[in-house]
Amino acid sequence: MTVTPASRFVGQSVPRVEDQRILTGSGRYIDDIVLPGMLHGVFVRSPLAHARIDSIDAGRARSMPGVVAVITAAELEGIVQPLQFPMEVANYLRPVFHALASDKVRHVGDQVAFVVAESRYLAEDARDAVEVDYDPLDPVACMEHAKDPARPPVFDDVASNLFYTETMDVGDPDAAFAQADRVVRETLVAQRVAHVPLDPRGGVADYRAGTGELTYHATTQAPHNLRQALAGHLGHPAEQLRVLVPDIGGAFGQKALPCREDLVACAAAKLVGRPVKWVDDRLENMASGGHAREETLELAAAVRDDGTILGVEVKMELDQGAYPYVGLLSPLFGWIVRTVIGSAYRIDSMRWALDVYATNKASYGPYRGPWAAETLARETLIDRIARELGLEPVEVRRRNLLRPDEQPRKLMTGPTLEGLTSLASVERAAELVGLEGFRAEQQRAREQGRRLGVGFSTYIEPAPGPPDYWTSIGFPAGGERAVARLEPDGHLTVMTTQAPNGQGHETTLAQVAATEMGVPLEHVRVLHGDTNAIPYSSMGTGGSRGATMASGAALHATRAVKNKVVSYAAGMLEIAPEDLELADGKVSPKDAPDRGLSLAQVARAVYSAPPDGEEPDLRSAVFFHAPRGGWSGGTHCCVVEVDPETGVVTIVRYLVVEDCGSLVNPAIVDGQIRGGVAQGIGIALYENALYDEDGNFLAGTFVNYLVPTAMEIPPIEIEHLHGLSETFDEVGYRGVGEGGTIAAPAAVVNAVFDALGNPTDIALPLTPERVLELVEQTAAMP
Amino acid sequence: MTVEVTLTANGEQRSAAVEPRCTLADFLRVELGLTGTHLACEHGVCGSCTVLVDGASARSCLMLAVQAAGAEVTTIEGLAANGAMSTLQEAMRDTHAFQCGFCTPGMLMTAAEFLRDSSRPDERAVREAISGNICRCTGYESIVKGILLAAERAA
Repeated sequence: MTVTPASRFVGQSVPRVEDQRILTGSGRYIDDIVLPGMLHGVFVRSPLAHARIDSIDAGRARSMPGVVAVITAAELEGIVQPLQFPMEVANYLRPVFHALASDKVRHVGDQVAFVVAESRYLAEDARDAVEVDYDPLDPVACMEHAKDPARPPVFDDVASNLFYTETMDVGDPDAAFAQADRVVRETLVAQRVAHVPLDPRGGVADYRAGTGELTYHATTQAPHNLRQALAGHLGHPAEQLRVLVPDIGGAFGQKALPCREDLVACAAAKLVGRPVKWVDDRLENMASGGHAREETLELAAAVRDDGTILGVEVKMELDQGAYPYVGLLSPLFGWIVRTVIGSAYRIDSMRWALDVYATNKASYGPYRGPWAAETLARETLIDRIARELGLEPVEVRRRNLLRPDEQPRKLMTGPTLEGLTSLASVERAAELVGLEGFRAEQQRAREQGRRLGVGFSTYIEPAPGPPDYWTSIGFPAGGERAVARLEPDGHLTVMTTQAPNGQGHETTLAQVAATEMGVPLEHVRVLHGDTNAIPYSSMGTGGSRGATMASGAALHATRAVKNKVVSYAAGMLEIAPEDLELADGKVSPKDAPDRGLSLAQVARAVYSAPPDGEEPDLRSAVFFHAPRGGWSGGTHCCVVEVDPETGVVTIVRYLVVEDCGSLVNPAIVDGQIRGGVAQGIGIALYENALYDEDGNFLAGTFVNYLVPTAMEIPPIEIEHLHGLSETFDEVGYRGVGEGGTIAAPAAVVNAVFDALGNPTDIALPLTPERVLELVEQTAAMP
Repeated sequence: MTVEVTLTANGEQRSAAVEPRCTLADFLRVELGLTGTHLACEHGVCGSCTVLVDGASARSCLMLAVQAAGAEVTTIEGLAANGAMSTLQEAMRDTHAFQCGFCTPGMLMTAAEFLRDSSRPDERAVREAISGNICRCTGYESIVKGILLAAERAA
């Protein structure tokens, strides 16, 4: 049979399916869900970083108007199982912890009790009446505290606050440093940041005692993983547990994993016998919703005077906060940094060390490009090398990046690199920004006392990454399922494991399926977020896997249905399948198009009386396993002006040259890139989930946690390269969800440092105060 | 203690008995079922809950329902009827302005007021107009383009 050309919807910026409801106020987010008899739950949260709980007196709260229950750790005993990472991992401490704090609180915002009442207002009234008697302990407020044996352990059941440690030599670092003309060093302190989805976390737990069925409406990126965690930790039969995902107003990794609140809310619904809703307020989301990126890196590069990098030394320290995320191993992100820090560069040797510390802070978790420290570290180090050698930073990249004829090649840590256009992206970015002309302009500006700077940042991201990437990081993620079903009216339903929260999967997967099936876009519905309907995935939306994995799965599921349709139609028309063609919603003999059957005719025939010996419906389930995987990547270029009087950094120009293969929907791709860059600019210049030395949280509102506005984010110019063929791995699409946030911080930092000269160590964010320090420091330099 | 609050929401007179401390946002969302208005910070910074009160933009999280008694309130549900779209909404769709949709209602109400009061705005003016509305997904460029497109189409 003939395949309909795969170009009808794919590759076009078709309007988003989601926009009809989003733009008219008809979206349905977690706080919009109202169930009959629903109660409202709010958490009593710790005002202290570290303290023993001597007693909890909920007597007065329980007697207040509208209060149905006040639940503490004591009430959950035997109902919610204690939490612990389920597998032993060498050198990794695995504390036991609880859904509600029992013996002590471990960070500001730790959850101590759950008040359930008839309205949110009444629940909050009672929350303030719950009396918790705390006995303060010395806080472990930073990694320096965690290293101090005089400070108490965050978890009493494990002896130390050093939760994980590893060292590793890759290649021959001794030889690399022995052969070097010089060693260039850098210290990089990356601050804690928060995800800040505008729609906070939440859930509505609905337990029916009569049937034993527990339905949990949840803001999750991974519905099946949440269902499994709830079933396991609540001891609830999985077949009686359904997770439903409403519209989600942003996630960025914050909603990737089950949280302790989910367990409490579900247990509460079972205890009180009525539906219970919980939704973070902003302070809760900022203080308890999880953080990311707090890492310190000591870097050294063994370089030749011509800029050739022979090897690197990387010492990484990671502040994982107090509680591990449910089911997450915090060293994982360090492992990814270790695996990909060589990127598309010809770097063959590394001395590596990783230490992970527990502190009295919110959990450290996945945030858009969770391993982004590798790009920030490497790309700022490369600029440091360039400045110390008096070379153009682009030239150092040019001399060390892999040429196309050197690929495929293995990263020093194992994963296969192929089809990378990193070098071309640097050249193109330099051309677009007009580097030579810029240097002349920069010089003229400097003579007038103005400080201009340009910064580049080159990266690759595993999106989804080749199979040997996943084995290298020790986290085999596998493929992805999809189910396609032709409905009796000839329309198509595609069931995906993705749990979209802004990515537009209802549009992009429909584009892929409609193109494959040869039907109008409006005849395809993408169904997601219902564990009773969608196929299994332990991951859901994350890891920039959607473009390759979900598209590939949707494509193959649709193709399988198409083959069934043709097979049935062949029987109905008494003609060989290879003599049929499926196009424009009809299966027709190639030589007699007017004798064709519509998809609806075939579907109705099959659904009313499936032929003997054939499968009973037009449904296909597939597991797509991108055999080669592959990378996205590119180069960002940022031009800034730094005001030496005020320390304010203004981004004058920002451009992205990137390669994610073929584009399903270019407008959606560009939106992902721009949004990612905006978050990366926030990390470089504004955002800081700051704690003081006593562990008090200082960033609980949008007044002190600065999310960039339309005044700070410039227009972002984008150009696409296409290093992979459209049929690489059967689908040529690569993910773009994370690259913007991964690459942008280094581009901005490099631009600021280029403007200032060569300041010493990097500490983020580059606030006006910090920039003024750097101005002063560089003014004193010879 | 409750008080009866009557206001006009999207052209329709609506009443509900609420506590005096009930915010306008909660009144709209919980009492009137107009859940298109979103709450993201509840301290007046992010702009997601922006509605028009007697034609002027207001943060419905910082206003009490009783303060809006007798007022004409317009929410995102009032921009166009029965699933249709206004020029602004169509322009936003055509520029792929939004991603997750959570800041969208506030952004649209701010933009609707801005477009009503300014003719042929430039990019700078648009950016200033929406500088009190946080979007975490888009980097703003697509939203700015959408508002400029709506202004062009309305001219």
